[in-house]
Amino acid sequence: MGLVRHKAAVLLLQGQGLFPFLDGLSTNHVDGPCTTVFTTRAAKIIDVCDIIPVGDHVAVVGHAMNKEALTAHLSERILGQPITITDISELNDVFIDVGDSPTPPDATIHPSFFGRMFVVPVKHEWQPTWTDDEWNEYRIDNLIPYHGHEITAAQHPLGCGLGALVHPQKGCYIGQEVLTRMRSRGKQGRELVVKTNPVDKATTKGRERSLCIVRTQ
Amino acid sequence: MDCGTCESATPLEVHRPAEVDVALTLTEKATSMLEDAFGDDRSHALLVGVLSGGCSGYMYDLQIVESTETPCQELNINGFRVLVPSASSHLLNGIEIDYVDRLMGGGFKINNPNASSSCGCGESFA
Repeated sequence: MGLVRHKAAVLLLQGQGLFPFLDGLSTNHVDGPCTTVFTTRAAKIIDVCDIIPVGDHVAVVGHAMNKEALTAHLSERILGQPITITDISELNDVFIDVGDSPTPPDATIHPSFFGRMFVVPVKHEWQPTWTDDEWNEYRIDNLIPYHGHEITAAQHPLGCGLGALVHPQKGCYIGQEVLTRMRSRGKQGRELVVKTNPVDKATTKGRERSLCIVRTQ
Repeated sequence: MDCGTCESATPLEVHRPAEVDVALTLTEKATSMLEDAFGDDRSHALLVGVLSGGCSGYMYDLQIVESTETPCQELNINGFRVLVPSASSHLLNGIEIDYVDRLMGGGFKINNPNASSSCGCGESFA
């Protein structure tokens, strides 16, 4: 088991009503630490983010490639609320631990959907112990989707293995009507599966097996 | 996590659309319902706001308030004080507030020419 670097964007939200604000915009029930998905009205993924309380503030840890889209999505909906967003990505490294890696100094530890997440000040120059290939093999074995592979703007959460992050009973959020309809009708269109190689259109290619998203019957 | 310097870090620029002068209308039915709600006391105001969230991204928020700390435009519509938060003015200009008399799904309804779509329940829009 090992530690992999998560190419993250870390946004610090400060202000009042942060949990209700995030809860109204994402698929999971946000009232404390959790992983949730921000989606468009068509339920396509904007980003999968970890919500980490930091004192009176809340850190939103998403993927670096989605930072601009997520920031725009959030900031457009602040309206008159007393909420500010600060980008603290440059100050922190983010890792995912899928074993019992030693805890880095000054790390914030968070139980993420992807594994145990460490948010570590960059000054410690902490290093991963796993390569991306090792992480991908682990994900294939455990059917875990990841950014840039299965988790893309073309997918909805139910179709790429993020169903556990779509709360079945919470109230309205952007994309909720589409996802609820898929669930209630049992038609989510696509699903994440693992197949033995060779695999056509693999989203994560492994040594012997690969992840891919297939149409459901 | 290092957020010790966050207070000195520059907050990201938040998208703030320009404030517009809001015009809105009340239908006869909505005016009648507000007369029932307010009675002769016009010291209170109808606050017409927008919250983030809902199936479509924004939700309407109607409240009867005495005052608010939120920066607002104050209008006088059919004899009622109507407050519209400045930050939401771009989303609410031109709306018509109606009242629908139904056992289920009845109540105040907002017809919004700025909305590209609304969710099924009509409470949120995009």
